[in-house]
Amino acid sequence: MRLTAVNDAAAALGLKGGMALADARAMYPQIAVADADEHADFALLEAIADWCDRYTPLAGLDPPDGLMLDVTGCAHLFGGEAALADDLVRRLKAQGYQARVAVADTVGCAWGAARFFSSLPPPERGRSTHEVRRVGVMPHDQTPTRLAPLADLPLSGGGDHWLVRSGNEREVLAPLPLAALRLAPETIAALSQLGLKRIADVLERPRAPLAARFGAAFVRRLDQALGREDEPIAPRLPVPAAIAEQRFADPIALERDVLGTIEKLAEKLGALMERRGEGARLVQAALFRTDGKVLRIEVGTSEPLRDPSRIRHLFADRLGVIGDEFDPGFGFDMLRLAALVTERHEPAQTGLAAPDHAVELAHLIDRLGARFGLRRVTRMVPQDTHIPEFAVMAVGAAAVGDSAFSAHSRVSGPPPFIPPPLAGEGRVGAGSPLSRGRAELNQDSAAPTRPIRLFARPEPVEALAEVPDGPPVQFTWRRMRHVVARAEGPERIAMEWWRDEENRALTRDYFRVESREGVRVWLYREGLVRSREPTRWFLHGVFA
Amino acid sequence: MLPAEPMEQHLARLRRAIAQTSEALGDEPCSRALGVPDIDAALGGGLACAALHDLSAAPMHLGAAAGFALTLAARAPEKAKQALWIATDFGSQETGALYGPGLDLIGLDSSRLLVARVARPVDALFAMEEALKCRALSTVIAEINNEVDLTATRRLSLAARAGGALGVLLRHMPSGSPSAARTRWDVAAAPSVPDELGGLGRTAFRLSLVRNRRGPCGTWTLTWDHHERVFSALSVGVAAEAPDRPDQALSA
Repeated sequence: MRLTAVNDAAAALGLKGGMALADARAMYPQIAVADADEHADFALLEAIADWCDRYTPLAGLDPPDGLMLDVTGCAHLFGGEAALADDLVRRLKAQGYQARVAVADTVGCAWGAARFFSSLPPPERGRSTHEVRRVGVMPHDQTPTRLAPLADLPLSGGGDHWLVRSGNEREVLAPLPLAALRLAPETIAALSQLGLKRIADVLERPRAPLAARFGAAFVRRLDQALGREDEPIAPRLPVPAAIAEQRFADPIALERDVLGTIEKLAEKLGALMERRGEGARLVQAALFRTDGKVLRIEVGTSEPLRDPSRIRHLFADRLGVIGDEFDPGFGFDMLRLAALVTERHEPAQTGLAAPDHAVELAHLIDRLGARFGLRRVTRMVPQDTHIPEFAVMAVGAAAVGDSAFSAHSRVSGPPPFIPPPLAGEGRVGAGSPLSRGRAELNQDSAAPTRPIRLFARPEPVEALAEVPDGPPVQFTWRRMRHVVARAEGPERIAMEWWRDEENRALTRDYFRVESREGVRVWLYREGLVRSREPTRWFLHGVFA
Repeated sequence: MLPAEPMEQHLARLRRAIAQTSEALGDEPCSRALGVPDIDAALGGGLACAALHDLSAAPMHLGAAAGFALTLAARAPEKAKQALWIATDFGSQETGALYGPGLDLIGLDSSRLLVARVARPVDALFAMEEALKCRALSTVIAEINNEVDLTATRRLSLAARAGGALGVLLRHMPSGSPSAARTRWDVAAAPSVPDELGGLGRTAFRLSLVRNRRGPCGTWTLTWDHHERVFSALSVGVAAEAPDRPDQALSA
C-alpha cells in the first residue's frame, strides 16, 4: 500500500505521495491514514467544476485533480484575469480548498505553470486549478519541486495564482522540468537518461529525431504547450445557446424572489433569442448556492418559447413538484437562466378578436408537462400494424404536431421509432395508416368493431362455448358471471410470424360480445382449438 | 353642428351594437344539446358548457360511462378546439387505457384528443382545474376513482366557468357526498337493438339524471349513431317530477 496524498502537516514531516505506507509508518508510527476513494474524489472534482460554472460555461475536468476553464471573453466580467484568478482562489479557500491557478494562452502552459511555479513553500495537499485564457486551475499533489520563478520571466501574480503574458509561453516554460509538459512517466525517464531534464533542453533540439525517438505524443504535447497546435477544452456540460444571469450582493432564498428573478432573466433571454429569431425548447435555471452547491432545474416546452411570464409559470409548477429538494440553504448568490435547446420561432401575427387556441393549448401542455413530465401528456398516434395492442402509440404531445421530432427526443425520451408525422392540426391524409385502418375496421356492423378501452394485459376470463370454436355463451370476469345475449365473430388476428418463437400458432379469435345487461366486451380465445388442450379465454377490451 | 339625435334612438342604436358585439365574441352561455328533445328540455337546452357534470357508474358499466363521456366530447360544436382526457395510472390499469382506433369508431377523432396520465387522484384534480381554465379545450374529462369533496368540485366549477369548457368528472363509485356539479348522472350500458342479422346493434346507454340544478330528473335509454354523431331515444323516458324543487320543475 502506498500513500496517494498527504496533508500539509505530513508534508512538513517529509512524507510524500507514492511512498510505501510501511515506510511512512516506520518513520512516524503515529500518522493517521484513511483509504483513498477515487470515486469520491472525482465526485468532488465534478462538484467544484459545477461551481466553477459561475465563471464560464466552458469548464472541463482534468482528473484526478485539475480543472480547465476557458475564460476567453469572460474575464472582464470579473475585472480582468488577475481579479478573476484572485476571486477564484479566495472563494475556493473560503470553502476549504487549496487551489493553484494559472492563466495562460494555452492549456499546456497553464497546466505547467499552475503546478510548477510557487513562491510559497510547496503545499503538499490542496486542489489546484489551471485556467487557460483560456485559464487552468490545478489541484494538488503532483509533488513536483516547485520553482520560485525568476524575476525576469514574463509572468505576473504570485503566491497561488500566476498570469502568463500572452505569447510568452516559450520563455515561461523553458525553466520548468519536463513533467510540466504532461508527459508519460516513461518518456520523462527516457529523456532524463539522455540528460534532458528541463523544457529548455528540448526546445532547441530538432523535432524530427525527438519525434522518432519519443513518439508523436511527446512532440504534440510540446506543440500544445507552445500554442503551435490548438487544444480545445471539452466542456463538461452542454454549452447553452443563450444565457442570462444575475448575481446578488445579498443571497436570496425565497421562492418568490427566485421566480421573480427568473422572469426578469427570461426577459433578457427572450430579447437575446428574438434577435436570432429563436425560441427555447428546453430552459435550465442554475441556482448557485452560497455554499458551492448548484441546483439545476430544467423545463421543456412543446413549442419554441420566449414569453417571460410563461417561463416563470413553468418554473413555478416545476418548483411545486420538486418540493423539499429545492433547498436554498443559506441562499443563492447567483442565478443563471440558459436556453439549452432552441428552435426557429418566427413572430406570428395574432388576431385581435379571437383568442389563439394553439398558443393556449401549447401553454397548457407545457404546464402539465412541467408538473407531471412531458411524457405523461400524450396523443394517440396510429401505427401501421394489425396487432391490436400495437395499433396505436402514445407519443408525447409536445413532440406531435411538429415536424422536428429528433430535437425533442431529449425532452420526452427517445421514442422507439419515429412515428408518422401528423400535420400541425392533427389532420390525417388519405394515405395515412389511420384512414386506412378506419376503412378496414368499418365492417358491416352497426356497432363499432374496436373497443374504446384496451387492457395493457389481457385479463383471463372463464368462458363457456357451445361448440369448441364458436362464440362463448357465458363468461366470468372479475368474479361476475355474464350471460351472453349476442356475439359477433370470430375475427382471427394472428401475430406476425417472426414473433412466433416456439412455433406455436399465436392466433387469437376475437368476439364482440354483449351481455344480457348490455355490457359489451372484446373477448378472444387464444390459439387454435385442440381437443387435448383446454381453451383459454381473455378479455382484451371494453366497448362503450 | 349635427342635428341632435333623439335620446331613445341613440340608446337603441348603442344597445344593438353592444348586442352584436357580444354575440360575435360568443359570450352567450352555451349548452351542448344531446339532440333528444326530452333530455334537452329537462336540461334547459342541453348540458351546460362552462360547467361541471358528474358521471358515475357501477364497476361493470364503467366502459359505458367512459363511452358516454367521449360521445359528449364528440358532439362538441367547436371544431377548432380539442378534448382532454385525464386518467390516473391506477385507473388505466383497472379499467383499461383509452384505445385510439375504438375512439375513431365511436366518432371521436383520436388525433384531437389529448391524454394526460397522472400518478395520484389529487394530481388529476389539479390537471383538470388547469385544463378547464384553458380556452382551447372544448371538453375536459377526468376519471377519478376516489371521493371528490365539495371544495374540489366547487373549484372545478369555477374553473369551468372561466374557461368555457364542458367538464366531466367520471367517478368509479357513485358518490354520496355533496357536489357542486351542475348535473349528476348515473350511466349504465343498455342492451342494444340487434341489427337485422342478429348482431350487435348501435351502442346504447341507459342514462339516469339523478340531480339537476335547473330542472327535473329522469331516466332515458339512448342509442348513439357513431356515423352521424347523434343520439336518439330508444324508449320514451319518464321525466320524473323533482320532488324537492317543484317550482323549478314546473318552470322547465
